[in-house]
Amino acid sequence: MLEFAVELFSDYTARTILLGAASLGVVSGVVGSYAVLRKQSLVGDVMSHAALPGIVLAFMIVGVKEQLPIFIGAALSAVLAVFVINLVTQNSRIKIDSAMGMALSVFFGLGLVLLTYVQRMPDANQAGLDKFLFGQAEALVEKDVLIIGLTGLFALLVVGLFWKEFKLLCFDPDFGGTMGFSMKSLDMLVTAVIVSAIVIGLQTVGVVLMSSMLIAPAVAARQWTGSMGSMVILAALIAAVSGVTGVALSAGFENIPTGPAVIVCVSVIAFFSVLFSPNGFFTLKFKDARSRREIKKDYVLKVLHDLALEHDDPGYAHSERLLALGSEKGFNVKKSLWALQTAGYVESVGEDNWRLTQSGIHEVKKLSPLEKGR
Amino acid sequence: MSGRGENPVAPAIRVTDLTVAYGDKTVLWDIDLEIPKGSMVAVVGPNGAGKTTLIKSIQGLLPRVAGVISIHGKPYEKQRKEVSYVPQRGSVDWDFPTSVVDTVKMGSYGDLGWIRRPGRKEHEKALGALEKVDMLEFAQRQISQLSGGQQQRVFLARALVQSASVYLLDEPFQGVDATTEKAIVTILKELVAGGKTVLAVHHDLNTVSEYYERIAILNVGLVASGRVEDVFNSENLMKAYGGKTSFFPERKAARRAV
Ligand SMILES: Nc1ncnc2c1ncn2[C@@H]1O[C@H](COP(=O)(O)OP(=O)(O)OP(=O)(O)O)[C@@H](O)[C@H]1O
Ligand SMILES: [Mg+2]
Repeated sequence: MLEFAVELFSDYTARTILLGAASLGVVSGVVGSYAVLRKQSLVGDVMSHAALPGIVLAFMIVGVKEQLPIFIGAALSAVLAVFVINLVTQNSRIKIDSAMGMALSVFFGLGLVLLTYVQRMPDANQAGLDKFLFGQAEALVEKDVLIIGLTGLFALLVVGLFWKEFKLLCFDPDFGGTMGFSMKSLDMLVTAVIVSAIVIGLQTVGVVLMSSMLIAPAVAARQWTGSMGSMVILAALIAAVSGVTGVALSAGFENIPTGPAVIVCVSVIAFFSVLFSPNGFFTLKFKDARSRREIKKDYVLKVLHDLALEHDDPGYAHSERLLALGSEKGFNVKKSLWALQTAGYVESVGEDNWRLTQSGIHEVKKLSPLEKGR
Repeated sequence: MSGRGENPVAPAIRVTDLTVAYGDKTVLWDIDLEIPKGSMVAVVGPNGAGKTTLIKSIQGLLPRVAGVISIHGKPYEKQRKEVSYVPQRGSVDWDFPTSVVDTVKMGSYGDLGWIRRPGRKEHEKALGALEKVDMLEFAQRQISQLSGGQQQRVFLARALVQSASVYLLDEPFQGVDATTEKAIVTILKELVAGGKTVLAVHHDLNTVSEYYERIAILNVGLVASGRVEDVFNSENLMKAYGGKTSFFPERKAARRAV
């Protein structure tokens, strides 16, 4: 496997392919961030599936597996799907999610039917049109990578130029509208950029899984940062790494299409991020448990102090049992006491009796909840 | 400081024959409304009366069936820069990955125009606005970590950055505590004292007389508009709210007079 990887990176053809996968990753990471921020993850899914009939039709019309016509066909049918969705929701009572579901199945179904038909045709060797379903990066040649690069450059350029306008579009389109920015044009521009990302992902990832390539890196990146700029950059990085790793993996194990291999990589990163990032599931649980422990400690300290005050002696000792009285079941006073002892705030005197130390008395004074809150 | 495009005699906002519908449902019906310059105006009416719709359609955010909007005597489209907007707080996703100061900076995007990015000047301006709403210490914080009242202050700061002469606010006091409400009112009154015009959707009928000079009472149609003393009475409120209102401005005024 390792030898293979070395071989892969030193081989010219292989380098071309990896370059293609990396560029695709950068573009889909950036562009996918917008789909996620606009809560339009589903739209990406619909558009990528809807590209299929366009691909096959373009092939049928041109007759050879030529790149440019296929890209154009894919883009046109993806855009057509969005157009149909808008038309249906604006002129009927059908809700957007149902409309998207219908558009996806109708377009993708049509695509599959056409694909089956084309593959039955006698002459053409059909040059693996079905590769567009799950992607086959090995088929990438220099010219493909060039087109991927150029289309990607266009997408990045648009995002760079209209950075602040796109931010308005995602965060507060009404407000943007009142300042004279045409939100409709910006919406179309974002759609165009998403379509270009989908188109260049057709060969590498395929129509079925392309939406994950858009969404998963952005979702993962969002977990690690609170700034839109770093989110976009991180998403690009995650997607590029996954693209390269996935392509290498699929080449290493014969017969795995690249699409699934790439998506497995992205998903692992996304999954890890959702669980373990600073805002992740486990991190929050862990923080929760820790702050609960802190609060319990403070609480025990306070009770010890209050009880001692009743005896007019801040250092008065009390039994552990007394301290546990009145607190909830499952509140392990002993644990808190041990922790406090380690911190030097309490000391045990005789059997299970505890009292505040000097620094403990000092600490209690700082325990106003308002002071801690900020 | 009069704004760029002000006509000294024209009202700050003039709405003529405004009618707006969603599908086949008429939400605003033939509204005629004039807001004099330098006044502080409440828009009141029951839920669903069309208050938000009015604010949005003044700014051309919704297609109108009919109607003309003019700001300082010129069509709204030519006067965008004269109008600042504070949307309802709940209208955006506060989990959006951005900081407080960057959100406030959005108010300067209109002046910047297409493509140009905010720079140092815009940053200073945003900080100034944050200071006005007493949020300077939160400048670098994520907007997802703000309380409701703080969110409202951020929105107000963003509108202040626009440095317009007409302010349209949609429920600026929704879900904020008494301190924030007082702070916002003070800022709005300062704006009015400086010759600006403020139009705010307002829900608490108890504070109308205290905060505003003028009022527009709305329920699909315009029930009444004018000075608070003249039109804020139970007759008009009954018309707008139906029998559901138990608020009687006259009694309150009488109590205050005693
Ligand atoms: N996007 C929409 N599509 C269809 N109907 C809508 C839409 N937005 C608002 N409406 C309807 O228009 C009417 C007026 O709504 P609007 O939001 O202007 O009321 P409002 O006075 O601001 O109410 P609230 O006090 O609840 O904010 C309501 O009956 C509402 O159901
Ligand atoms: Mg409203």
